[in-house]
Amino acid sequence: MDSRLLMTMQVAVVFPKKIGAVPHGTRVTAPIASGHFEGPRLRGKVLPGGGDWTLLRGDGVLELDLRVTLETDDGALIHMASFGLRHGPPEVIAALARGESVDPSTYYFRTTVRFETGHANYAFLNRLVAVSSGDRRATGPIYTIDEIL
Amino acid sequence: MRSRPLMTLRLSTAPVQNIGVVPHGTRLTFPITGGSFDGDRLRGKVLAGGDDWVVKRADGVVELDLRITLETDDGALIHMTFEGIRNDGAPGAPYFRTLPRFETADAKYSFLNRLLAVGTGAISEGGPVHVIEEIL
Repeated sequence: MDSRLLMTMQVAVVFPKKIGAVPHGTRVTAPIASGHFEGPRLRGKVLPGGGDWTLLRGDGVLELDLRVTLETDDGALIHMASFGLRHGPPEVIAALARGESVDPSTYYFRTTVRFETGHANYAFLNRLVAVSSGDRRATGPIYTIDEIL
Repeated sequence: MRSRPLMTLRLSTAPVQNIGVVPHGTRLTFPITGGSFDGDRLRGKVLAGGDDWVVKRADGVVELDLRITLETDDGALIHMTFEGIRNDGAPGAPYFRTLPRFETADAKYSFLNRLLAVGTGAISEGGPVHVIEEIL
C-alpha cells in the first residue's frame, strides 16, 4: 500500500483522569494541553481542550480514541479524530508505564486518522484517510501520520 | 508505513435502499447478501445480514459505514466493521479507501483484535471488492 508523510504531531498530555474499571475495561482520559504538527503541506499548533479517551481492554490492548483541534500557521481550524491500538510485550508496556524511554519499534502503536475542515486550503484533508505510528514519550506521544494514497 | 496483505473481501449486495436527502447528505443503504474473503491467514464467507450505510456528502465524497459478520472455513465468527471514503472525483484515479476493524472470540483469530488495517476498494461486476492490508 502506498502512503506519504502528511505530518508529524507531538502533543503534551496532562493530568490523566483515571475513570477506573468500566464495563469494557479500564478507562483513562488524557487531556491534551498543547502540541504542534508539521508536514510538507501543513503546520501549526494543537489547541488545548482535546483529549485521548483510552480504554485498557481485558486482553491487554489499549484502545485510543483521540479528538483534537489543529490550528494551522495561517489560521485554519482542523478537527482531527483518530482511533488506535497500543500493545506489546508486558515488560515493554511496564517500562512505558514507568515513563521510561522505549524504542517504539518494540511495541504496536498505530492509529487511523480522519480530518474535517471548512477551510478551502485544507479541503484535501476531508478526502483522505491516514494512518499513524506512535512513539509514546513520558510527556506525551509523537505521531508520524501518513496519508494513504 | 509498512503493511502486509490480510485478505481480499468480495461482497454481494441487494438493491440499494435510497433513504434520500438527510441532514448530512444523501443516505443510501446497501444490504450485504453474502460474499467471500480470502487471505494467507483466514478465508471463508460473508454471512447475509450486514449492511453498508453510505452517505454521499455535499462535496461529492461518499462516506461508508459497514458492519458484517465473517465466518471462516473452520467455523469462527468474526465481527467486522469499516468506515471509509470513496471519491470518484479524486485527481488521477478514484480514491476508495477503508479502515477495517475486527472483533472475534476465537483464539486462532485473536490477532485480528490487535491490528489496524486499510482497505483499497473497487466496484467490480460482481460487487464491491476490498483488498485489505494489515498495518504493521
